[in-house]
Amino acid sequence: MDWILDFYNYRVAIQYAPEFARGISATIWISLVSLVLALTIGTAAAIMRMSANPVLWRISAGYVQAIRSTPLLIQIYVIYFSLPALPLLGRRLDELEGGIIALGLNAGAYMSEIIRAGIESISRGQIEGAQSVGMTYLQRMRYVVLPQAFANVLPPLLGQTAVLIKDSSLVSFIGVFELFGAGLTVLSERLMPNEAFLTVAVCYLAIYWVMLIFSNFAQRRLGGVRR
Amino acid sequence: MVDVIWVTMPFLLAGLWITIKISLITILCGSLLGFVVGMLRTVGGWAVSTTLGLYIHALRGTPFLVHLYIIYFVLPATGISWLQLEAFPAAVISLSLYTSTYVAEIVRAAIEAVPRGQSEAARSTGMTALQSMWYVVLPQALKLMIPPMGGVYVIIIKGTSIVSVIGIAELVRAGEHATQRHPKELMLIYGMTALLYFAYCYPVLRLARWAETKFGSVRLPS
Repeated sequence: MDWILDFYNYRVAIQYAPEFARGISATIWISLVSLVLALTIGTAAAIMRMSANPVLWRISAGYVQAIRSTPLLIQIYVIYFSLPALPLLGRRLDELEGGIIALGLNAGAYMSEIIRAGIESISRGQIEGAQSVGMTYLQRMRYVVLPQAFANVLPPLLGQTAVLIKDSSLVSFIGVFELFGAGLTVLSERLMPNEAFLTVAVCYLAIYWVMLIFSNFAQRRLGGVRR
Repeated sequence: MVDVIWVTMPFLLAGLWITIKISLITILCGSLLGFVVGMLRTVGGWAVSTTLGLYIHALRGTPFLVHLYIIYFVLPATGISWLQLEAFPAAVISLSLYTSTYVAEIVRAAIEAVPRGQSEAARSTGMTALQSMWYVVLPQALKLMIPPMGGVYVIIIKGTSIVSVIGIAELVRAGEHATQRHPKELMLIYGMTALLYFAYCYPVLRLARWAETKFGSVRLPS
């Protein structure tokens, strides 16, 4: 048994279990807030992209292209290091806010493409039906188009959420504590990379596994709604 | 400001060159590995395809950053001499493994997208399973693989930014060094870095979209 303790001393992992637990909850929390932000930005960008107004759709298309062709790390650095004091806050963003905004902007671009595909999958008759009962544009979107659009693209949206959870590990580089940060803590305090990063990997796999179960469940529940 | 651009550009271009080098090596190795994994997963038996499915899930379920740290920090701790990797091979190997999961899924989806009638017709003319795969199915599947491979290439290019954390002087690292020399022009330098990435990725994305209109594409399982 000695060689196992040599390679992976589970006692150290257990000793740091509270740290890893805090890391998991921070990762989930950061991902959830970023997800809400990304869905909001993504929906807005998707609707703008489909508008007839050339200024609106150009802004949206430019945003998506810019995000898709630069790495997330650079986006995090630009937002965290380069943004001057915001007039609304009266101070610079702290690292957590900066990280969440970067993650939300990044995932929002990918999600806007998915949501746009979802909106385009809604048949013309649905919109005409809503128009004929006298719904305004906002009502049509809110009650008819978006609910069906989201149901149609739930699987790719969940896939993108899994990517978002993994990407959230990058905010540890601007000093945000999350799951990967917990691994970095173990590495710096005990100089034990195995105990640190193998445990982190298992924790991420656990989160991924829960996501898979949830995604299968959601797909089964929505099976009837899809075309 | 123009001075700073003039002074830092050579640094950034040297970084971009390393980014290009890593991404080119990775797309080669990662595609080869992914092709093998994808083919084995399609034609192999139950045991093979379950094992490879686990491999893909394990790599897909953890961040690339974790793979990089495991390969760079954990493997040397095994004490086996050939696993003591330098930063550059560690970066290329971890990125290739990560890429292979994407490529494997593309290969499988493309092979399954070729209509069954094609391989059945090939088999009925007397070709063996291998011949029908090589002469009939694969040539058609390869075309379907080209557009999504553009997306994978962009994922690799963006992935190379992460290997800066184990000390490879690629574009992000070069940008960081430049900001230490000119801390006042931080926004400008990171902006230039982002622009260089854009200049590298955007043509690839456009090319992928062009290929998609030309060859059609496969829908990937998400």
